[in-house]
Amino acid sequence: MNLLHDLFYGFGIAFQPYNLLSCFFGVFIGTLVGVLPGIGPVGAMSLLLPITFGISPVSGIIMLAGIYYGAMYGGSTTSILVNIPGEAASVVTCLDGYQMALQGRAGPALGIAAFGSFIAGTFGIVGLMFLANPLADLALKFGPTEYFSLMCLGLSVLIYLTQGSILRGLVMAGVGLFLSLVGQDIITGKARFTFGLMGLVDGVGLVPLVMGLFGISEILLNLEKFGERIVLKTKIKDLLPNKEDWRRSAKPIVRGTLLGFFLGILPGGGAIISSFVSYALEKKFSKNPEQFGKGAIEGVAGPESANNSATSGAFIPLFSLGIPANVVMALLLGAMMIHGLRPGPLMLSEHPEIFWGTVASMYVGNIMLLALNLPLIGIWVKILKIPYRTLFPLILLFCLIGAYSVGTNVFDIFVMLSFGALGYLFRKLNYEPAPLVLAFVLGPMLEQNLRQALILSDGSLSVFLTRPLSVGSLLISLFLLLSAILPSLQKKRKAVISEE
Amino acid sequence: MRIKQIRKVEGSFWIGMGVLICLLAWKSKIGFFREPGPGFVAFISGIFVSMIGLVMGLSELLSKISLRSSTDLNQTFSIASWPRLIYTMVLLLSYALLLNTLGYILTTFLVMWGLFYDREKSRWVSSGLASLISVGVTYLVFQVWLRCQFPRGIFPWW
Repeated sequence: MNLLHDLFYGFGIAFQPYNLLSCFFGVFIGTLVGVLPGIGPVGAMSLLLPITFGISPVSGIIMLAGIYYGAMYGGSTTSILVNIPGEAASVVTCLDGYQMALQGRAGPALGIAAFGSFIAGTFGIVGLMFLANPLADLALKFGPTEYFSLMCLGLSVLIYLTQGSILRGLVMAGVGLFLSLVGQDIITGKARFTFGLMGLVDGVGLVPLVMGLFGISEILLNLEKFGERIVLKTKIKDLLPNKEDWRRSAKPIVRGTLLGFFLGILPGGGAIISSFVSYALEKKFSKNPEQFGKGAIEGVAGPESANNSATSGAFIPLFSLGIPANVVMALLLGAMMIHGLRPGPLMLSEHPEIFWGTVASMYVGNIMLLALNLPLIGIWVKILKIPYRTLFPLILLFCLIGAYSVGTNVFDIFVMLSFGALGYLFRKLNYEPAPLVLAFVLGPMLEQNLRQALILSDGSLSVFLTRPLSVGSLLISLFLLLSAILPSLQKKRKAVISEE
Repeated sequence: MRIKQIRKVEGSFWIGMGVLICLLAWKSKIGFFREPGPGFVAFISGIFVSMIGLVMGLSELLSKISLRSSTDLNQTFSIASWPRLIYTMVLLLSYALLLNTLGYILTTFLVMWGLFYDREKSRWVSSGLASLISVGVTYLVFQVWLRCQFPRGIFPWW
């Protein structure tokens, strides 16, 4: 009964006109960035982060969350119609979605992607409602030792699942950790690593860093291949899947939903990995695996459900533990902190309006997305035809305004441009920026918890090995990181990533 | 320069970077386990980066040369697109340098004109118009609606 009462309280917040508008704006922008290849949800969220400063925290979080799950819906459109994934979690949808479009079945492919996303998204929200509260209660018993170890585990899993070299992922995490320490020390208040620059006394800003690493660098990479997109000239008809389509898709949607949700909760997991695992699973379960890659609807239904369900699952560790499961959640954590909120076990009792307002808005947002993605599909197809040379100056302008308006400071623009150039180099040399950003966001918390744990234990490191959760998390982290060195384990990791 | 050569120096680069972080952390006082100082975690991150650099260097030394690793650097960095990249970056840097002096409206108009300008088709008017519209819309949204404080520069009446 309490849950229902809280949910209705949440709906009361979500249905306030301003929050409803924020939700619509979020899912609309999310669908847009999902549709447009070249800018993912992380870039879009960092671009729009400054806009949230002018609105209430709950409206801001509702909008940012909307961008995230909206991008998962929109990503399938480009995968199916252009064979280019709008964002990384839709890569696998290209395999069968585009083939279906070539066979004149773009409508059912888009339809099942939207319906699967809706079902999975709704289930994910229910799971979020049921799991976040008990986990938050449990987290109240955690001390700095457990928090430190859990953060190490989150970082390790992300690095383990990062495409490319694990060593480069580790280096990125190390650099991100160092960058997060620039500025005033949390305990002594002393400025450190500022090189005499006043702009660095408050630390490196999250917004300019993320905008540079994801926004500017992405544009620089896209400027190298300035080609026009070829949109498939097919009539999009019969968006409602027929009986046979539903029969074939029902089980993949259920499996994708469950798998995505639980993979989304895991630190380092999320929408991308769950869509790949779902595809592999469907291929394994299928009686006709040879049809996969040739237009099997199961190959669209499963992964699209999994990536949407994972987005809801990823909110659980953020809201209940205050630990982001992936980079998008790290950005959301940063946004909450800028608004003076501290996600974690106390958030549900101290700021129930944020949690329940966001949860309820996700139900509303999912319905909005269904309307945006099915009847309005024609508009998204038209947007796909906008040439990149018209889009990129506008994205750059948003980056410039965004970086400036956070602290009304030109210094932040320089910071963003520096990280843009660095991000470009990193990506060219196969260094993934995601571990850097996650370590950057977790850094201050990691430092605080480590120092607190050491002070409380009178300098004894054994404190990390005597608590079960801490030792468990550290052992798993160690195992994952050792896989960088041991050749036999390296093969296993490559197998996991190649399945992606 | 070939990618293989870059891979060889990357280990050394990260060792150097790690040592630099350790030195900076040392300067900020690392303290003791019992009482960790402001540089404590940074020192650990420096050691960590150096160690990874060392492993990278060693693994590169022990690895065999593969066909992929001998790819030319030109292919990775696509030197043909550099003029476009440099042009864009110079415009963005100019924006940061001129914003306080010229103010939001003029700086944004000039930089956006440059960004919209299609060098292959030389469309000055259409790019100017696009720039004007983007300045107007962003001014309305950010300055008027969201009340962001943009610099007025040399034209304070704007």
